[in-house]
Amino acid sequence: MDLAALKTQLKNFVQSMFEEGVLDNQFSQIQALQDSTNPNFVEEVITLFCNDAERIINEINRNLGYQNVDFSNLDSYVHQLKGSSSSIGANRLKLACANLRQASDERNKEGCLQALQLITCEYCLLRRKFQALLHLERSIVELETNQK
Amino acid sequence: MTPTLPSGDQASDQDNWDNGRLAHKRQLLTEIILRNRLTALVVDGDTTCRVLEQLLFHSYGVQTQGVDNGRDAIALIASGVKFNLIIIDMILSVLNGLEATRQIRDMGVHCKMLGVTACSGESERQAFLAAGVDVFIEKPLDPEHLVPILRELDGQ
Repeated sequence: MDLAALKTQLKNFVQSMFEEGVLDNQFSQIQALQDSTNPNFVEEVITLFCNDAERIINEINRNLGYQNVDFSNLDSYVHQLKGSSSSIGANRLKLACANLRQASDERNKEGCLQALQLITCEYCLLRRKFQALLHLERSIVELETNQK
Repeated sequence: MTPTLPSGDQASDQDNWDNGRLAHKRQLLTEIILRNRLTALVVDGDTTCRVLEQLLFHSYGVQTQGVDNGRDAIALIASGVKFNLIIIDMILSVLNGLEATRQIRDMGVHCKMLGVTACSGESERQAFLAAGVDVFIEKPLDPEHLVPILRELDGQ
């Protein structure tokens, strides 16, 4: 596939993520921050986000495994995940965090477990799509490098 | 000399792509030119948020330092470092954002403080404003909120 076609494929793929509500405009702003001084910025931020998100989701899971859930501790983790989700433009994941926060406010353990399931699903979907996006980006960089 | 046209569709697609991205970037980042050298402290326990916030400031030419908890923010300010703007998250480890804000104000720091949080509600807003922040916003920190503040600090 030639360079222009790859770039179009990437553009269309990101567009589809916006249309599905997986990403929102905040991700466009992150893309806009990538330039020649930060050529790998998008990949670095996505990697950072995914590492943190997985750690937090595991911590939430562990917390909800206890008989007596520490809801204030849980709230801290939810806050963190919602914050990073909204900052990277992960729209559906951000919304799923709002569900967990509400259940946590209500001290509803069962509700928290259900909300966590949704968060896990949304995160797995997002991660798969980010991996595909980064694969396209790397292919573009490789082609551009070969053409120089 | 007769100007030469780009040869082939691929070259013009490349130019259109690069020009399109630059226009898109300008549109999204609302370019401003700062006359003064501004500095900002970003206090955010979440690494992704802190990196993005610092880079956003950097894109406007604002020098930043970042810390991930309230205690380190207090220590940095107590050491004499001055900032034009402090961005502080409500939920922080070691010393939370509300208490850190109170202590910063008690130290006689009068610079602009912007309180941020992932989960906003009226009670959070009131609490943060009462603690001493000037502005309260829900994450993400974006140009729409940041640019007017930078312009004000720059005296524009």
